Amino acid sequence: MRRRSALLPWVLLAPALAVIAALLLFPLGRIVWLSFREYRLRNLVSGESDFIGPANYVTLFTDSYLWRVALPNTVGFAVVAVVSTVVLGTLVALLLSRLRPVTRVVVVSCIMVAWAMPAVSGTYVWLWIFDVDSGVVAQALKGAGLLGPEGYNWFADRLFFYAVVVLNVVHGGFPFVAVTVLAGLLTVPRELHEAALLDGAGAWKRFWHVTFPVLRPVFAVVTILSTIWDFKVFAQVYLMPGGGVGGSEMLNLGVWTYVSSFGQRDYGMGSAIAVVLTLLLLAVTAVYLRALFREDELR
Amino acid sequence: MSARADTAASAAWESRVRRARRRGGALRLTRLAGRAAGVAAILLFTLFPVYFMLASAFSDRMTSAVGTLVPRDPTLDNFVHVLTEGDFGTYMLNSLAVACITVVGACVLSLLAAVAVARFRFRFRTAILVMILVVQMVPLEALVIPLFLQVRDLRLLNTVLGLGIVYIALSLPLAVWMMRGFVAAVPKEVEEAAYIDGASWPVMFWKVLFPLVAPGLVATAIFAFIIAWNEFVLALTFMQQSDKYTVAVGLRQFFGEYANEWGHVMAASTLITLPVMVFFVLVQRWLASGLVQGAVKG
Repeated sequence: MRRRSALLPWVLLAPALAVIAALLLFPLGRIVWLSFREYRLRNLVSGESDFIGPANYVTLFTDSYLWRVALPNTVGFAVVAVVSTVVLGTLVALLLSRLRPVTRVVVVSCIMVAWAMPAVSGTYVWLWIFDVDSGVVAQALKGAGLLGPEGYNWFADRLFFYAVVVLNVVHGGFPFVAVTVLAGLLTVPRELHEAALLDGAGAWKRFWHVTFPVLRPVFAVVTILSTIWDFKVFAQVYLMPGGGVGGSEMLNLGVWTYVSSFGQRDYGMGSAIAVVLTLLLLAVTAVYLRALFREDELR
Repeated sequence: MSARADTAASAAWESRVRRARRRGGALRLTRLAGRAAGVAAILLFTLFPVYFMLASAFSDRMTSAVGTLVPRDPTLDNFVHVLTEGDFGTYMLNSLAVACITVVGACVLSLLAAVAVARFRFRFRTAILVMILVVQMVPLEALVIPLFLQVRDLRLLNTVLGLGIVYIALSLPLAVWMMRGFVAAVPKEVEEAAYIDGASWPVMFWKVLFPLVAPGLVATAIFAFIIAWNEFVLALTFMQQSDKYTVAVGLRQFFGEYANEWGHVMAASTLITLPVMVFFVLVQRWLASGLVQGAVKG
Protein backbone atom coordinates (compact mmCIF):
# COMPACT_ATOMS: atom_id res chain seq x y z
CA MET A 1 0.00 0.00 0.00
CA ARG A 2 2.73 2.40 1.00
CA ARG A 3 4.81 1.56 -2.08
CA ARG A 4 1.86 1.97 -4.38
CA SER A 5 0.97 5.42 -3.09
CA ALA A 6 4.58 6.58 -3.46
CA LEU A 7 4.59 5.59 -7.10
CA LEU A 8 1.06 6.74 -7.98
CA PRO A 9 1.75 10.49 -8.32
CA TRP A 10 4.59 9.78 -10.73
CA VAL A 11 2.39 7.53 -12.83
CA LEU A 12 -0.22 10.31 -12.99
CA LEU A 13 2.43 12.89 -13.87
CA ALA A 14 4.39 10.85 -16.41
CA PRO A 15 2.43 11.62 -19.61
CA ALA A 16 2.27 15.36 -18.94
CA LEU A 17 5.94 15.53 -17.96
CA ALA A 18 7.03 13.61 -21.06
CA VAL A 19 5.21 16.04 -23.38
CA ILE A 20 6.47 19.10 -21.51
CA ALA A 21 10.06 17.86 -21.39
CA ALA A 22 10.23 16.98 -25.09
CA LEU A 23 8.46 20.04 -26.47
CA LEU A 24 9.09 22.85 -24.00
CA LEU A 25 12.00 22.05 -21.70
CA PHE A 26 14.34 20.81 -24.41
CA PRO A 27 13.64 23.73 -26.81
CA LEU A 28 14.08 26.11 -23.87
CA GLY A 29 17.54 24.61 -23.35
CA ARG A 30 18.28 25.18 -27.02
CA ILE A 31 17.39 28.86 -26.69
CA VAL A 32 19.76 29.31 -23.74
CA TRP A 33 22.49 27.54 -25.75
CA LEU A 34 21.79 29.73 -28.77
CA SER A 35 21.98 32.93 -26.69
CA PHE A 36 25.71 32.33 -26.09
CA ARG A 37 26.41 31.95 -29.78
CA GLU A 38 26.84 34.04 -32.88
CA TYR A 39 24.00 32.67 -34.97
CA ARG A 40 23.08 34.64 -38.05
CA LEU A 41 21.76 33.88 -41.51
CA ARG A 42 25.07 32.38 -42.70
CA ASN A 43 25.15 30.13 -39.60
CA LEU A 44 21.66 28.94 -40.41
CA VAL A 45 22.93 27.95 -43.86
CA SER A 46 26.24 26.40 -42.78
CA GLY A 47 24.82 24.87 -39.61
CA GLU A 48 27.89 25.97 -37.63
CA SER A 49 27.86 28.63 -34.98
CA ASP A 50 30.54 30.25 -32.85
CA PHE A 51 30.56 30.33 -29.08
CA ILE A 52 30.94 33.99 -28.13
CA GLY A 53 30.31 33.80 -24.39
CA PRO A 54 28.08 36.46 -22.87
CA ALA A 55 28.69 38.92 -25.75
CA ASN A 56 25.02 38.99 -26.76
CA TYR A 57 24.05 39.82 -23.18
CA VAL A 58 26.72 42.53 -22.90
CA THR A 59 25.44 44.16 -26.10
CA LEU A 60 21.87 43.89 -24.85
CA PHE A 61 22.48 45.39 -21.41
CA THR A 62 24.67 48.23 -22.67
CA ASP A 63 22.08 49.19 -25.28
CA SER A 64 20.10 52.14 -23.94
CA TYR A 65 17.14 50.91 -26.04
CA LEU A 66 16.52 48.15 -23.48
CA TRP A 67 16.30 50.56 -20.53
CA ARG A 68 14.65 53.46 -22.33
CA VAL A 69 12.10 51.67 -24.49
CA ALA A 70 11.70 47.89 -24.38
CA LEU A 71 11.72 47.31 -20.63
CA PRO A 72 9.42 50.22 -19.65
CA ASN A 73 7.02 49.28 -22.48
CA THR A 74 6.92 45.66 -21.35
CA VAL A 75 6.57 46.19 -17.60
CA GLY A 76 4.37 49.29 -17.67
CA PHE A 77 1.96 47.73 -20.11
CA ALA A 78 1.83 44.41 -18.24
CA VAL A 79 1.03 46.03 -14.88
CA VAL A 80 -1.85 48.07 -16.30
CA ALA A 81 -3.16 45.21 -18.45
CA VAL A 82 -3.02 42.55 -15.69
CA VAL A 83 -4.73 44.74 -13.09
CA SER A 84 -7.43 45.80 -15.58
CA THR A 85 -8.03 42.25 -16.82
CA VAL A 86 -8.28 40.64 -13.39
CA VAL A 87 -10.40 43.40 -11.82
CA LEU A 88 -12.80 43.60 -14.77
CA GLY A 89 -12.96 39.79 -15.08
CA THR A 90 -13.75 39.41 -11.37
CA LEU A 91 -16.42 42.13 -11.43
CA VAL A 92 -18.05 40.45 -14.44
CA ALA A 93 -17.89 37.04 -12.71
CA LEU A 94 -19.58 38.48 -9.60
CA LEU A 95 -22.26 40.05 -11.78
CA LEU A 96 -22.76 36.79 -13.70
CA SER A 97 -23.09 34.79 -10.49
CA ARG A 98 -26.08 36.96 -9.52
CA LEU A 99 -27.94 36.52 -12.80
CA ARG A 100 -30.65 33.97 -13.48
CA PRO A 101 -29.23 30.84 -15.14
CA VAL A 102 -30.76 31.57 -18.56
CA THR A 103 -29.59 35.18 -18.63
CA ARG A 104 -26.20 33.99 -17.46
CA VAL A 105 -25.82 31.53 -20.33
CA VAL A 106 -26.70 34.27 -22.82
CA VAL A 107 -24.29 36.85 -21.35
CA VAL A 108 -21.45 34.33 -20.94
CA SER A 109 -21.91 33.22 -24.54
CA CYS A 110 -21.70 36.86 -25.66
CA ILE A 111 -18.52 37.66 -23.77
CA MET A 112 -16.99 34.44 -25.06
CA VAL A 113 -17.17 35.91 -28.57
CA ALA A 114 -14.52 38.42 -27.54
CA TRP A 115 -12.27 35.58 -26.45
CA ALA A 116 -13.03 33.49 -29.51
CA MET A 117 -12.25 36.30 -31.93
CA PRO A 118 -8.80 35.68 -33.45
CA ALA A 119 -6.17 38.10 -32.11
CA VAL A 120 -5.28 39.08 -35.67
CA SER A 121 -8.84 40.08 -36.62
CA GLY A 122 -9.41 41.73 -33.25
CA THR A 123 -6.31 43.86 -33.66
CA TYR A 124 -7.44 45.08 -37.07
CA VAL A 125 -10.86 46.03 -35.71
CA TRP A 126 -9.28 48.08 -32.90
CA LEU A 127 -7.10 49.73 -35.54
CA TRP A 128 -10.25 50.69 -37.44
CA ILE A 129 -11.84 52.09 -34.30
CA PHE A 130 -8.83 54.34 -33.66
CA ASP A 131 -8.04 55.18 -37.30
CA VAL A 132 -6.37 58.59 -37.68
CA ASP A 133 -9.18 60.43 -39.43
CA SER A 134 -12.08 58.09 -40.23
CA GLY A 135 -12.03 55.90 -37.10
CA VAL A 136 -15.08 55.80 -34.84
CA VAL A 137 -13.20 57.57 -32.04
CA ALA A 138 -11.82 60.28 -34.32
CA GLN A 139 -15.29 60.84 -35.85
CA ALA A 140 -16.91 61.11 -32.43
CA LEU A 141 -14.27 63.56 -31.17
CA LYS A 142 -14.60 65.61 -34.35
CA GLY A 143 -18.37 65.65 -33.95
CA ALA A 144 -17.97 66.90 -30.39
CA GLY A 145 -15.58 69.60 -31.60
CA LEU A 146 -12.69 68.19 -29.55
CA LEU A 147 -10.57 67.28 -32.55
CA GLY A 148 -9.64 69.24 -35.65
CA PRO A 149 -10.37 67.98 -39.17
CA GLU A 150 -6.78 66.71 -39.48
CA GLY A 151 -7.48 63.93 -36.97
CA TYR A 152 -4.96 62.54 -34.53
CA ASN A 153 -2.41 59.76 -34.94
CA TRP A 154 -2.86 57.76 -31.74
CA PHE A 155 -0.22 55.27 -32.85
CA ALA A 156 2.63 57.81 -32.96
CA ASP A 157 2.32 58.43 -29.23
CA ARG A 158 3.69 55.70 -26.95
CA LEU A 159 1.06 56.25 -24.28
CA PHE A 160 -1.89 56.18 -26.70
CA PHE A 161 -0.35 53.30 -28.64
CA TYR A 162 -0.25 51.18 -25.52
CA ALA A 163 -3.65 52.44 -24.35
CA VAL A 164 -5.09 50.89 -27.52
CA VAL A 165 -3.11 47.69 -26.86
CA VAL A 166 -4.52 47.60 -23.30
CA LEU A 167 -8.09 47.90 -24.64
CA ASN A 168 -7.41 45.16 -27.19
CA VAL A 169 -5.75 42.80 -24.68
CA VAL A 170 -8.32 43.38 -21.93
CA HIS A 171 -11.13 42.84 -24.46
CA GLY A 172 -9.67 39.48 -25.44
CA GLY A 173 -8.43 38.52 -21.97
CA PHE A 174 -11.15 39.33 -19.42
CA PRO A 175 -13.55 36.56 -20.54
CA PHE A 176 -11.02 33.93 -19.43
CA VAL A 177 -10.77 35.49 -15.97
CA ALA A 178 -14.55 35.95 -15.75
CA VAL A 179 -15.35 32.35 -16.72
CA THR A 180 -12.66 30.87 -14.45
CA VAL A 181 -13.61 32.99 -11.44
CA LEU A 182 -17.30 32.28 -12.09
CA ALA A 183 -16.64 28.53 -12.11
CA GLY A 184 -14.79 29.03 -8.82
CA LEU A 185 -17.51 31.27 -7.34
CA LEU A 186 -20.09 28.57 -7.80
CA THR A 187 -17.98 26.15 -5.71
CA VAL A 188 -18.03 28.53 -2.72
CA PRO A 189 -20.45 27.01 -0.21
CA ARG A 190 -23.59 29.15 -0.02
CA GLU A 191 -23.72 28.69 3.75
CA LEU A 192 -20.50 30.69 4.18
CA HIS A 193 -22.06 33.68 2.45
CA GLU A 194 -25.28 33.30 4.34
CA ALA A 195 -23.48 33.12 7.67
CA ALA A 196 -21.55 36.30 6.82
CA LEU A 197 -24.82 37.92 5.74
CA LEU A 198 -26.38 37.05 9.11
CA ASP A 199 -23.38 38.67 10.80
CA GLY A 200 -24.29 41.84 8.89
CA ALA A 201 -21.37 41.87 6.48
CA GLY A 202 -21.80 44.12 3.43
CA ALA A 203 -21.10 43.08 -0.17
CA TRP A 204 -17.47 44.18 -0.10
CA LYS A 205 -16.77 42.46 3.25
CA ARG A 206 -18.45 39.27 2.06
CA PHE A 207 -16.26 39.26 -1.05
CA TRP A 208 -13.03 40.09 0.76
CA HIS A 209 -13.47 37.86 3.82
CA VAL A 210 -15.46 34.96 2.41
CA THR A 211 -15.15 34.65 -1.38
CA PHE A 212 -11.57 35.78 -1.82
CA PRO A 213 -9.94 33.46 0.75
CA VAL A 214 -11.80 30.43 -0.63
CA LEU A 215 -10.93 31.32 -4.24
CA ARG A 216 -7.35 32.31 -3.49
CA PRO A 217 -5.87 29.51 -5.65
CA VAL A 218 -8.13 30.48 -8.55
CA PHE A 219 -7.17 34.15 -8.26
CA ALA A 220 -3.51 33.22 -7.99
CA VAL A 221 -3.74 31.20 -11.20
CA VAL A 222 -5.59 33.82 -13.26
CA THR A 223 -3.23 36.55 -12.06
CA ILE A 224 -0.07 34.53 -12.82
CA LEU A 225 -1.43 33.54 -16.23
CA SER A 226 -2.47 37.07 -17.15
CA THR A 227 0.98 38.25 -16.08
CA ILE A 228 2.71 35.66 -18.26
CA TRP A 229 0.51 36.46 -21.27
CA ASP A 230 0.69 40.22 -20.97
CA PHE A 231 4.46 40.32 -20.52
CA LYS A 232 4.97 38.63 -23.87
CA VAL A 233 1.99 39.93 -25.83
CA PHE A 234 2.91 39.77 -29.50
CA ALA A 235 0.35 40.03 -32.31
CA GLN A 236 -1.50 42.94 -30.69
CA VAL A 237 1.72 45.03 -30.79
CA TYR A 238 3.37 43.61 -33.87
CA LEU A 239 0.42 44.29 -36.17
CA MET A 240 -0.14 47.90 -35.12
CA PRO A 241 1.41 50.75 -37.16
CA GLY A 242 4.98 51.15 -35.88
CA GLY A 243 4.66 48.11 -33.66
CA GLY A 244 6.74 45.71 -35.73
CA VAL A 245 9.47 48.10 -36.78
CA GLY A 246 12.95 47.74 -35.32
CA GLY A 247 14.13 50.92 -33.63
CA SER A 248 10.65 52.33 -33.09
CA GLU A 249 9.58 53.45 -29.64
CA MET A 250 6.81 50.87 -29.49
CA LEU A 251 8.59 47.50 -29.20
CA ASN A 252 8.23 45.36 -26.11
CA LEU A 253 10.60 42.51 -25.26
CA GLY A 254 8.43 39.84 -26.92
CA VAL A 255 8.25 41.68 -30.25
CA TRP A 256 11.90 42.68 -29.99
CA THR A 257 12.87 39.01 -29.74
CA TYR A 258 11.04 38.29 -32.97
CA VAL A 259 12.31 41.38 -34.78
CA SER A 260 15.92 40.52 -33.83
CA SER A 261 15.58 36.89 -34.87
CA PHE A 262 13.57 37.16 -38.04
CA GLY A 263 13.89 40.83 -39.03
CA GLN A 264 17.59 41.29 -38.39
CA ARG A 265 18.43 37.57 -38.73
CA ASP A 266 20.40 37.60 -35.49
CA TYR A 267 19.04 34.48 -33.77
CA GLY A 268 21.69 34.56 -31.03
CA MET A 269 20.60 38.06 -29.96
CA GLY A 270 16.93 37.15 -30.34
CA SER A 271 17.49 34.20 -28.01
CA ALA A 272 19.34 36.39 -25.48
CA ILE A 273 16.35 38.80 -25.37
CA ALA A 274 14.03 35.82 -24.94
CA VAL A 275 16.13 34.53 -22.02
CA VAL A 276 16.07 37.97 -20.35
CA LEU A 277 12.28 38.17 -20.75
CA THR A 278 11.95 34.66 -19.32
CA LEU A 279 14.11 35.56 -16.30
CA LEU A 280 12.10 38.73 -15.78
CA LEU A 281 8.85 36.76 -15.78
CA LEU A 282 10.46 34.24 -13.43
CA ALA A 283 11.34 36.99 -10.98
CA VAL A 284 7.77 38.36 -11.05
CA THR A 285 6.27 34.90 -10.60
CA ALA A 286 8.69 34.15 -7.74
CA VAL A 287 7.06 37.01 -5.85
CA TYR A 288 3.61 35.44 -6.35
CA LEU A 289 4.94 32.00 -5.41
CA ARG A 290 6.50 33.32 -2.20
CA ALA A 291 3.14 34.77 -1.24
CA LEU A 292 1.55 31.40 -1.99
CA PHE A 293 4.10 29.46 0.03
CA ARG A 294 3.66 31.75 2.99
CA GLU A 295 -0.05 31.04 2.91
CA ASP A 296 0.68 27.34 2.47
CA GLU A 297 -1.53 27.35 -0.62
CA LEU A 298 0.65 24.88 -2.50
CA ARG A 299 -0.90 21.97 -0.69
CA MET B 1 -36.08 11.72 13.36
CA SER B 2 -32.77 13.45 12.70
CA ALA B 3 -33.86 14.08 9.13
CA ARG B 4 -36.94 15.93 10.35
CA ALA B 5 -34.80 18.00 12.74
CA ASP B 6 -32.47 18.84 9.86
CA THR B 7 -35.36 20.01 7.71
CA ALA B 8 -36.72 22.20 10.48
CA ALA B 9 -33.27 23.68 11.17
CA SER B 10 -32.64 24.42 7.52
CA ALA B 11 -36.05 26.07 7.15
CA ALA B 12 -35.30 28.29 10.12
CA TRP B 13 -31.89 29.12 8.63
CA GLU B 14 -33.44 29.97 5.26
CA SER B 15 -35.90 32.40 6.78
CA ARG B 16 -33.16 34.08 8.84
CA VAL B 17 -31.08 34.46 5.67
CA ARG B 18 -34.05 35.93 3.81
CA ARG B 19 -34.63 38.46 6.57
CA ALA B 20 -30.94 39.42 6.63
CA ARG B 21 -31.00 39.88 2.83
CA ARG B 22 -33.99 42.20 3.09
CA ARG B 23 -32.35 44.20 5.87
CA GLY B 24 -28.90 44.47 4.31
CA GLY B 25 -29.56 44.59 0.60
CA ALA B 26 -30.58 47.65 -1.33
CA LEU B 27 -34.12 47.85 -2.71
CA ARG B 28 -34.85 45.00 -5.10
CA LEU B 29 -35.61 47.35 -7.98
CA THR B 30 -32.35 49.31 -7.56
CA ARG B 31 -30.41 46.05 -7.48
CA LEU B 32 -32.08 44.86 -10.65
CA ALA B 33 -31.40 48.18 -12.41
CA GLY B 34 -27.75 48.00 -11.32
CA ARG B 35 -27.38 44.51 -12.71
CA ALA B 36 -29.04 45.48 -15.98
CA ALA B 37 -26.71 48.47 -16.33
CA GLY B 38 -23.69 46.27 -15.61
CA VAL B 39 -24.77 43.70 -18.17
CA ALA B 40 -25.40 46.42 -20.75
CA ALA B 41 -21.97 48.00 -20.22
CA ILE B 42 -20.19 44.65 -20.50
CA LEU B 43 -22.08 43.66 -23.63
CA LEU B 44 -21.34 47.03 -25.26
CA PHE B 45 -17.59 46.70 -24.60
CA THR B 46 -17.46 43.07 -25.73
CA LEU B 47 -19.76 43.14 -28.70
CA PHE B 48 -18.90 46.47 -30.31
CA PRO B 49 -15.71 45.18 -32.02
CA VAL B 50 -17.55 41.96 -32.91
CA TYR B 51 -20.38 43.97 -34.46
CA PHE B 52 -17.80 45.97 -36.40
CA MET B 53 -16.40 42.70 -37.78
CA LEU B 54 -19.88 41.46 -38.75
CA ALA B 55 -20.96 44.74 -40.34
CA SER B 56 -17.85 44.70 -42.53
CA ALA B 57 -18.25 41.02 -43.35
CA PHE B 58 -21.76 41.66 -44.71
CA SER B 59 -20.81 44.79 -46.68
CA ASP B 60 -20.61 44.73 -50.44
CA ARG B 61 -17.37 45.94 -52.06
CA MET B 62 -15.74 47.21 -48.93
CA THR B 63 -12.83 49.20 -50.19
CA SER B 64 -12.47 51.54 -47.22
CA ALA B 65 -9.60 50.64 -44.93
CA VAL B 66 -11.49 51.38 -41.72
CA GLY B 67 -14.39 48.95 -41.93
CA THR B 68 -17.98 50.10 -41.75
CA LEU B 69 -20.50 50.39 -38.95
CA VAL B 70 -23.52 50.28 -41.25
CA PRO B 71 -23.30 47.52 -43.86
CA ARG B 72 -23.47 49.01 -47.35
CA ASP B 73 -25.71 46.99 -49.65
CA PRO B 74 -25.84 44.03 -47.23
CA THR B 75 -24.75 40.87 -49.01
CA LEU B 76 -23.44 37.34 -48.41
CA ASP B 77 -20.93 37.69 -51.25
CA ASN B 78 -17.93 37.87 -48.94
CA PHE B 79 -18.89 34.59 -47.27
CA VAL B 80 -19.61 32.93 -50.61
CA HIS B 81 -16.26 34.09 -51.90
CA VAL B 82 -14.36 32.86 -48.84
CA LEU B 83 -16.08 29.46 -48.88
CA THR B 84 -15.97 28.78 -52.61
CA GLU B 85 -12.84 30.45 -53.97
CA GLY B 86 -10.24 28.50 -52.10
CA ASP B 87 -9.74 25.79 -49.53
CA PHE B 88 -11.21 27.41 -46.49
CA GLY B 89 -13.31 24.31 -45.78
CA THR B 90 -10.17 22.17 -45.73
CA TYR B 91 -8.53 24.62 -43.32
CA MET B 92 -11.59 24.37 -41.05
CA LEU B 93 -11.38 20.56 -41.01
CA ASN B 94 -7.62 20.65 -40.33
CA SER B 95 -8.14 23.08 -37.46
CA LEU B 96 -10.98 20.98 -36.07
CA ALA B 97 -8.80 17.84 -36.07
CA VAL B 98 -5.89 19.66 -34.42
CA ALA B 99 -8.23 21.19 -31.85
CA CYS B 100 -9.78 17.81 -30.96
CA ILE B 101 -6.35 16.28 -30.31
CA THR B 102 -5.37 19.31 -28.24
CA VAL B 103 -8.55 19.39 -26.14
CA VAL B 104 -8.59 15.66 -25.35
CA GLY B 105 -4.85 15.55 -24.66
CA ALA B 106 -4.82 18.69 -22.52
CA CYS B 107 -7.85 17.63 -20.45
CA VAL B 108 -6.72 14.07 -19.73
CA LEU B 109 -3.06 14.86 -19.06
CA SER B 110 -3.76 17.97 -17.01
CA LEU B 111 -6.37 16.29 -14.80
CA LEU B 112 -4.03 13.37 -14.02
CA ALA B 113 -1.11 15.71 -13.34
CA ALA B 114 -3.27 18.07 -11.27
CA VAL B 115 -4.46 15.21 -9.06
CA ALA B 116 -0.82 14.18 -8.54
CA VAL B 117 0.36 17.65 -7.48
CA ALA B 118 -2.74 18.65 -5.53
CA ARG B 119 -3.38 15.39 -3.67
CA PHE B 120 0.04 13.81 -3.05
CA ARG B 121 3.15 14.97 -1.28
CA PHE B 122 6.24 13.53 -2.89
CA ARG B 123 9.85 14.43 -3.57
CA PHE B 124 10.47 17.09 -6.22
CA ARG B 125 6.80 18.06 -6.18
CA THR B 126 7.59 21.74 -5.71
CA ALA B 127 10.39 21.54 -8.25
CA ILE B 128 7.97 20.15 -10.82
CA LEU B 129 5.39 22.86 -10.11
CA VAL B 130 8.02 25.54 -10.56
CA MET B 131 9.36 23.90 -13.72
CA ILE B 132 5.84 23.77 -15.19
CA LEU B 133 5.53 27.50 -14.56
CA VAL B 134 8.97 28.30 -15.94
CA VAL B 135 8.59 26.58 -19.31
CA GLN B 136 5.67 28.72 -20.30
CA MET B 137 7.44 31.97 -19.68
CA VAL B 138 9.58 31.71 -22.79
CA PRO B 139 8.08 33.84 -25.56
CA LEU B 140 6.57 31.59 -28.19
CA GLU B 141 8.10 33.69 -30.96
CA ALA B 142 11.56 32.70 -29.73
CA LEU B 143 10.61 29.01 -29.54
CA VAL B 144 9.75 28.78 -33.24
CA ILE B 145 13.19 27.59 -34.38
CA PRO B 146 13.91 25.00 -31.64
CA LEU B 147 10.32 23.69 -31.83
CA PHE B 148 10.56 23.36 -35.58
CA LEU B 149 13.76 21.28 -35.25
CA GLN B 150 12.08 19.16 -32.59
CA VAL B 151 8.94 18.41 -34.61
CA ARG B 152 11.07 17.70 -37.67
CA ASP B 153 13.19 15.22 -35.67
CA LEU B 154 9.99 13.50 -34.56
CA ARG B 155 9.03 13.29 -38.26
CA LEU B 156 5.74 15.06 -37.53
CA LEU B 157 5.99 18.08 -39.83
CA ASN B 158 2.86 18.60 -41.95
CA THR B 159 0.80 16.34 -39.70
CA VAL B 160 -2.26 17.20 -37.65
CA LEU B 161 -0.80 15.03 -34.86
CA GLY B 162 2.48 16.96 -34.76
CA LEU B 163 0.78 20.34 -34.41
CA GLY B 164 -1.74 18.88 -31.94
CA ILE B 165 1.01 17.53 -29.68
CA VAL B 166 2.82 20.87 -29.71
CA TYR B 167 -0.43 22.62 -28.73
CA ILE B 168 -0.97 20.06 -25.95
CA ALA B 169 2.49 20.98 -24.66
CA LEU B 170 1.69 24.69 -24.94
CA SER B 171 -1.60 24.42 -23.09
CA LEU B 172 -0.48 21.86 -20.48
CA PRO B 173 1.40 24.12 -18.06
CA LEU B 174 -1.57 26.47 -17.71
CA ALA B 175 -4.03 23.60 -17.79
CA VAL B 176 -2.21 21.83 -14.93
CA TRP B 177 -2.10 25.02 -12.88
CA MET B 178 -5.76 25.71 -13.51
CA MET B 179 -6.86 22.17 -12.71
CA ARG B 180 -4.64 22.13 -9.63
CA GLY B 181 -6.73 24.96 -8.20
CA PHE B 182 -9.98 23.15 -8.92
CA VAL B 183 -8.78 19.80 -7.53
CA ALA B 184 -7.41 21.50 -4.41
CA ALA B 185 -10.78 23.23 -3.91
CA VAL B 186 -12.50 19.85 -3.52
CA PRO B 187 -12.49 19.12 0.23
CA LYS B 188 -10.32 16.13 1.09
CA GLU B 189 -13.11 14.95 3.42
CA VAL B 190 -15.27 14.16 0.41
CA GLU B 191 -12.65 11.71 -0.84
CA GLU B 192 -11.93 10.29 2.57
CA ALA B 193 -15.62 9.61 3.05
CA ALA B 194 -15.62 7.70 -0.25
CA TYR B 195 -12.62 5.63 0.90
CA ILE B 196 -14.32 4.84 4.19
CA ASP B 197 -17.32 3.67 2.20
CA GLY B 198 -14.93 1.22 0.55
CA ALA B 199 -14.48 2.91 -2.81
CA SER B 200 -11.28 2.10 -4.72
CA TRP B 201 -9.03 4.76 -6.22
CA PRO B 202 -10.46 4.64 -9.77
CA VAL B 203 -14.04 4.59 -8.49
CA MET B 204 -13.35 7.57 -6.25
CA PHE B 205 -11.76 9.33 -9.20
CA TRP B 206 -14.65 8.92 -11.63
CA LYS B 207 -17.60 9.02 -9.23
CA VAL B 208 -16.48 11.64 -6.72
CA LEU B 209 -13.64 13.82 -7.94
CA PHE B 210 -14.51 13.97 -11.63
CA PRO B 211 -17.99 15.52 -11.27
CA LEU B 212 -16.68 18.07 -8.77
CA VAL B 213 -13.88 19.29 -11.04
CA ALA B 214 -16.01 19.16 -14.20
CA PRO B 215 -16.28 22.98 -14.35
CA GLY B 216 -12.49 23.15 -14.28
CA LEU B 217 -12.26 20.59 -17.07
CA VAL B 218 -14.69 22.59 -19.16
CA ALA B 219 -12.62 25.73 -18.64
CA THR B 220 -9.49 23.78 -19.62
CA ALA B 221 -11.19 22.39 -22.72
CA ILE B 222 -12.31 25.82 -23.91
CA PHE B 223 -8.89 27.20 -23.21
CA ALA B 224 -7.04 24.45 -25.12
CA PHE B 225 -9.50 24.67 -28.01
CA ILE B 226 -8.95 28.39 -28.41
CA ILE B 227 -5.15 27.99 -28.38
CA ALA B 228 -5.35 25.31 -31.07
CA TRP B 229 -7.86 27.26 -33.13
CA ASN B 230 -6.16 30.67 -33.09
CA GLU B 231 -2.42 29.98 -32.88
CA PHE B 232 -0.64 31.33 -35.90
CA VAL B 233 3.18 31.37 -35.90
CA LEU B 234 3.76 27.66 -35.19
CA ALA B 235 0.99 26.53 -37.53
CA LEU B 236 2.58 28.61 -40.26
CA THR B 237 5.99 27.02 -39.65
CA PHE B 238 4.98 23.37 -39.22
CA MET B 239 2.28 23.08 -41.89
CA GLN B 240 4.12 23.77 -45.11
CA GLN B 241 1.70 22.17 -47.55
CA SER B 242 -1.27 24.36 -48.36
CA ASP B 243 -3.73 21.48 -47.89
CA LYS B 244 -2.53 21.24 -44.27
CA TYR B 245 -3.11 24.91 -43.34
CA THR B 246 -5.15 25.76 -40.27
CA VAL B 247 -7.74 28.55 -40.26
CA ALA B 248 -5.39 31.05 -38.62
CA VAL B 249 -2.87 30.52 -41.42
CA GLY B 250 -5.64 30.46 -44.03
CA LEU B 251 -6.86 33.82 -42.75
CA ARG B 252 -3.45 35.28 -43.63
CA GLN B 253 -3.97 34.35 -47.27
CA PHE B 254 -6.83 36.81 -47.46
CA PHE B 255 -4.53 39.54 -46.19
CA GLY B 256 -1.83 38.67 -48.67
CA GLU B 257 -3.72 38.19 -51.89
CA TYR B 258 -6.47 40.75 -51.53
CA ALA B 259 -4.75 43.51 -49.60
CA ASN B 260 -7.80 45.76 -49.53
CA GLU B 261 -10.59 43.19 -49.51
CA TRP B 262 -11.49 43.73 -45.88
CA GLY B 263 -14.89 42.20 -46.51
CA HIS B 264 -13.24 38.85 -47.24
CA VAL B 265 -10.92 39.12 -44.25
CA MET B 266 -13.79 39.85 -41.88
CA ALA B 267 -16.06 37.19 -43.39
CA ALA B 268 -13.28 34.65 -42.85
CA SER B 269 -12.77 35.98 -39.31
CA THR B 270 -16.48 35.54 -38.64
CA LEU B 271 -16.38 31.95 -39.91
CA ILE B 272 -13.38 31.26 -37.67
CA THR B 273 -15.10 32.69 -34.61
CA LEU B 274 -18.32 30.69 -35.14
CA PRO B 275 -17.08 27.14 -34.29
CA VAL B 276 -15.57 28.38 -31.03
CA MET B 277 -18.94 29.87 -30.15
CA VAL B 278 -20.80 26.68 -31.05
CA PHE B 279 -18.31 24.64 -29.02
CA PHE B 280 -18.78 26.94 -26.08
CA VAL B 281 -22.56 26.93 -26.18
CA LEU B 282 -22.40 23.11 -26.23
CA VAL B 283 -20.13 22.80 -23.20
CA GLN B 284 -21.94 25.60 -21.41
CA ARG B 285 -24.84 23.23 -20.70
CA TRP B 286 -22.40 20.69 -19.32
CA LEU B 287 -20.76 23.35 -17.22
CA ALA B 288 -24.14 24.14 -15.68
CA SER B 289 -24.89 20.48 -14.92
CA GLY B 290 -21.44 20.08 -13.38
CA LEU B 291 -22.21 23.03 -11.18
CA VAL B 292 -25.56 21.62 -10.10
CA GLN B 293 -23.88 18.34 -9.16
CA GLY B 294 -21.31 20.28 -7.21
CA ALA B 295 -24.03 22.15 -5.37
CA VAL B 296 -25.90 18.93 -4.52
CA LYS B 297 -22.76 17.26 -3.18
CA GLY B 298 -21.59 20.38 -1.34
